Amino acid sequence: MQISARRLENKTIFDVVGDIDLANSPAVRKALLAEIKEKKIPCVIMNLEGVKYIDSSGIASLVEGLKASRDAHARFILFGLSKSAREVLQLSRLLNLFEIYDNEEQALSNERA
Amino acid sequence: MRIELKSDPQVLCGVRGAISPIAGAIGFKEEDCRAITLALDEAITNVIRHAYGGKPGRRIEIELSKLNGAKQEQAGLEILLFDRGVKPKPDSFKGLPPGELRSGGLGLHFMRQSMDKVVHTRVGSTNRLRMVKFIR
Repeated sequence: MQISARRLENKTIFDVVGDIDLANSPAVRKALLAEIKEKKIPCVIMNLEGVKYIDSSGIASLVEGLKASRDAHARFILFGLSKSAREVLQLSRLLNLFEIYDNEEQALSNERA
Repeated sequence: MRIELKSDPQVLCGVRGAISPIAGAIGFKEEDCRAITLALDEAITNVIRHAYGGKPGRRIEIELSKLNGAKQEQAGLEILLFDRGVKPKPDSFKGLPPGELRSGGLGLHFMRQSMDKVVHTRVGSTNRLRMVKFIR
């Protein structure tokens, strides 16, 4: 898995490529929390178009990001969920707790709204 | 089929890559292959994290058996996982209700949602997890 950050004005977009599982979910969590809690970025967006698989440890990292963003009164947005990732989030019954868009354009236009 | 692994998170990717085509060859639909893959991933993750406390290099054994539907059960796949880690606490099998904003306890829920049977037993110093999925 690879995770890289793009900074646009007051927001950060993380581009994630590869599976998110126990081997690399700590890296996702660390990157998210650094951006939200330490750098206090008001809007963090996760591009999951390149993620074909996510397990409970990956979901847990996203939940940590969502919790931290709520505590910081920041926004935490996901886009580009694969069928498999969406199924797993649905299975967790957490799907509706996240702000999710189909693609980056939608995520950015709603972020500006 | 019998597979031996070490308790290293890096093995998960290879296991996922192997189990899905096996399930497909047995006759499971694509969505059921994804469910089986998720359940096995979560089961191994639980062994690595909880039974072995994140320590690498410990043995995990997996047995995969095709159920032919000849006896009492329907046709399907049986997965047995063996480890010699710590005995789970009884309340760890309760499974936390999903839907709340929390970051733990989802793995067992995913296994139960994905498979038709999930049964843990402790025999001596060995944990045995049996998971079964039937072909629909």
